[in-house]
Amino acid sequence: MGRVAEDDERAFTELVRRFQGRVGNLISRVLNDRENTDDLAQEVFVRVFVHRRNYRRGSKFSTWVFTIAANLAKNEIRRRVRRRNWFSLDALTEVLSDSLPQLADPTESREAGMEREQLQGAVGRAIATVPEKYRLALVLRDIEGLAYEEIAEVLGLPGGTVRSRINRARSMLQRKLQPLLRKQDAP
Amino acid sequence: MNRCDQGRRLFGAYWDDEVTQAEREWLESHLAGCSGCRQQYEQFARTLETVGSLPRTDTASDLPERALAAARRAAAVPDRVAVAPARPLWVPVTAAAAVLVLAAATLLPLIGGQGGQGGTRGRMALGEKPVAEPYLLHRSSEPLAASTPAAPVSTLADSLFDHSEDVEFILDPVVLQRGRAQAVSNLPAGVQGEQTVISF
Repeated sequence: MGRVAEDDERAFTELVRRFQGRVGNLISRVLNDRENTDDLAQEVFVRVFVHRRNYRRGSKFSTWVFTIAANLAKNEIRRRVRRRNWFSLDALTEVLSDSLPQLADPTESREAGMEREQLQGAVGRAIATVPEKYRLALVLRDIEGLAYEEIAEVLGLPGGTVRSRINRARSMLQRKLQPLLRKQDAP
Repeated sequence: MNRCDQGRRLFGAYWDDEVTQAEREWLESHLAGCSGCRQQYEQFARTLETVGSLPRTDTASDLPERALAAARRAAAVPDRVAVAPARPLWVPVTAAAAVLVLAAATLLPLIGGQGGQGGTRGRMALGEKPVAEPYLLHRSSEPLAASTPAAPVSTLADSLFDHSEDVEFILDPVVLQRGRAQAVSNLPAGVQGEQTVISF
């Protein structure tokens, strides 16, 4: 990052290559939108470049880039909710509830791979129905594997608030997925 | 709070391996004896396992090049909100105007004088009425009483200068004596009048 701050373009492309997967995954999981992931990830790295001189040497780059990505994702969620386009939480809830009985019915999913894919799709949609402030903390912790302290830094929140949000998010997610998991457990 | 509630509150910390040894032992013994909590924890763990095993989203392989091109474009166009506010235009304009006015005020009398004449004479050449300069009637070092006989108050000028054509304020020198200001009196002996001291 020090080289990027000194306008080294090769260092910048290397940095993008190294972090594009994690940044893209975070955005994709928070927004549940793969189509626009590349554009949003690109926007994150453009901001990294534009504000490269604001980066504090010695601090963790992943924390900084996740902070930018989280802020961008939050803005995007709010923009979409304001516009009330396809990203409607109600619509997502409906999609999720429609998909659960199909997933739970073993006769309709003959291949295990397809079932797993559908399960993952349902979980992804379930995550998208968790309120934004809980969702971001959940994705950073349980998908990106960040430490609580780092999440607190990314979100600009006290450690206790982060723990509380992650616990709430996990409980919400468990409740949403409970019917699916119960039916899968049934013989 | 019953034991099951207590146990379920520890699920998150237990999953993150952030419980104390005592909490771990207590929870594990509770889960071994409570089928409801055990089932709850299994669902909790499966939920988080599924979340953690979601496939990673692939990003475009040419993203670094695209990001670089976009970053170059963004860097070429300054932010709409400047980090540091630019100096307002009126500052240098006003400064330049002030310098010009000062220069004109300094140089005009010299230029207009033509041959070392004073500013007043320069203005006279332009047809303006000259302003009479005040002249001293007497010096304070020469006692009035000695050279001029005491005159009636009504005919005595109330200032050292004849300002019949002009008005000018004269500040008398002030002498400090033991903390009290006293103006040097220039009134001739025997003349009655009030003296005002203005202290600064």
